[in-house]
Amino acid sequence: MKPFTYILPRSLPEAATAAARKGAQLKAAGIDLIDRMKERIETPSEVVNLLSLKGELSYIKSERDSGLRIGALTTLNDLELDAALGAAQFGALREAAGRTATPLVRNRATIVGNLLQVTRCWYLRSAAFGCLHGKKGPACLAMTGENRYHSVMGYFDCVRVHPSNLAPALLALDAEFTSQLGDRQSRRKLSELFPKEARAMLAEHTLLPGEIVTAIHVPAQPANARSAYRESREKLSFDWATTACAARIVVEGGKIRTATLVLGAVAPVPMPMPEAAKLLIGEAPSDELFQKVANAAYQSAVPLSQNVYKVQVGKAVVRETLHAITR
Amino acid sequence: MSLPDEPERRGFSRRAFIKGASVAAVTSAGVAAANLAQAPQEPKSFAIGEHEVELKINGQQRKLKVETRTTLLDALRDRLDLTGAKKICDRGACGGCTVHVDGHAVNSCMMLAIDAIGSEVTTIESLTQGEQVHPLVQNFATCDAMQCGFCTPGMVMSSLACLQRRGKPTREQVQHDLSGNICRCGTYGRIFEAVERTAEGATK
Ligand SMILES: Cc1cc2nc3c(=O)[nH]c(=O)nc-3n(C[C@H](O)[C@H](O)[C@H](O)COP(=O)(O)OP(=O)(O)OC[C@H]3O[C@@H](n4cnc5c(N)ncnc54)[C@H](O)[C@@H]3O)c2cc1C
Ligand code: FES
Ligand code: FES
Repeated sequence: MKPFTYILPRSLPEAATAAARKGAQLKAAGIDLIDRMKERIETPSEVVNLLSLKGELSYIKSERDSGLRIGALTTLNDLELDAALGAAQFGALREAAGRTATPLVRNRATIVGNLLQVTRCWYLRSAAFGCLHGKKGPACLAMTGENRYHSVMGYFDCVRVHPSNLAPALLALDAEFTSQLGDRQSRRKLSELFPKEARAMLAEHTLLPGEIVTAIHVPAQPANARSAYRESREKLSFDWATTACAARIVVEGGKIRTATLVLGAVAPVPMPMPEAAKLLIGEAPSDELFQKVANAAYQSAVPLSQNVYKVQVGKAVVRETLHAITR
Repeated sequence: MSLPDEPERRGFSRRAFIKGASVAAVTSAGVAAANLAQAPQEPKSFAIGEHEVELKINGQQRKLKVETRTTLLDALRDRLDLTGAKKICDRGACGGCTVHVDGHAVNSCMMLAIDAIGSEVTTIESLTQGEQVHPLVQNFATCDAMQCGFCTPGMVMSSLACLQRRGKPTREQVQHDLSGNICRCGTYGRIFEAVERTAEGATK
């Protein structure tokens, strides 16, 4: 790591001011940031430590309407174990948190750090390569290079994958986030945290320099909702997903009444699939139906030279997710 | 969080500010009061370079010098000669560096030493006092739960966290709790046995 000045803010406004300075980087637990700094693909002159605000920003609160408010510095371990997430409606979030990385990582990694971790593309993550997304080269090297873990849909000029487990789960639950920029607070849909068109030259999130996410909101879910998260990966532990799916469904009188479906790890942003989810509405759960939905979810897939498998495996993961909810 | 009294500050420090403000007070009390009310406080910070900090390690306050970029693992190994925790991947991807911070098993290679100020750090060294070894360590030996032994300190610390949290864990729970530690020699089966023996109270 290159040397840096380490800033320990005593309040959110102080953190926001410090983070807005040129060359400053926000840090939560630092598991993603320190990795990038060790690789020297990130060399901030100042690091602003959000952990100094742990007392203020680490909590899971049940709201009066039975939604959840989750502090930005809440750890994945807290998400996995907190009783407030025990209900079937929040299953997707609990499962996504519990399947992330390792217990050692989950004991420190924060919910917002997970959402804002940078893509695992090995070209971007290595100082030995210069690519378009890293603004150090003329093209996406994975597009024509080693791309077995890269995108199969939703890409333009860069085929990186959004690596977060929690993103599809939270999107399936219609989550929102509150952020602080200077002394201004705003609350937006979580989908707005990610760029609409994931171009190479855009950042992987839409936050402005110095903008701090303070909380994630999981609104009250529809009555009798259940949700689940499933993924495929090469190892049982440690590994990022090769494909992921989160869904939330309400079944009443044997028929599916509402449904959300979000894919993860297959595109530069988490991919909500409203058209595929619509096929579920009014139908009785069945494997035939789930196959149809899985096919629809991957209809727009244009796999790369080495990741055709993701389409087949991803469809199986969609089916498994839907079965897990309606079982 | 307890911080050293006067860490090096960047740019204009609070002390310099207060000095400046009191000079202003001599010339115009009104203006100085207004300045004080609006002046943004500089956040605490550690400048580039070494800082003497105090960490609580295995129950003892230890003074040591670290840079802002020093990881907890490097501080333990290189500054305090606590070389039980191993540096293998240095990326959170093997568990060789596992220590406890405030009772949680974590990767000390992915944590800044400065972030451990005010926390209780427990390392593998705490499990041996002279000839006295912790039953868990004894059971690792009894079960021959290692080959090269490089992963062992990390395995023991994750096993300890598992036992502390669950008392009598099931095999699945042991596997779950140790899933952040890799053993290249593949001694997992015997490690699980060592944990289970310890849970059953075996000390020999
Ligand atoms: C071995 C290993 C396996 C892993 N496997 C998985 C996996 O399977 N699935 C998965 O999803 N992840 C996985 N991860 C990634 C891990 O989950 C993330 O690195 C971690 O969640 C990051 O959280 P953090 O608090 O350490 O974030 P940091 O590293 O502190 O921050 C990450 C980024 O977010 C920004 N940031 C953090 N908090 C805020 C905030 N409140 N406001 C604004 N910006 C902020 C920082 O500026 C930084 O750029 C794995 C990591 C390791 C080491
Ligand atoms: S050395 Fe820390 S996890 Fe491998
Ligand atoms: S005993 Fe050799 S790595 Fe585990």
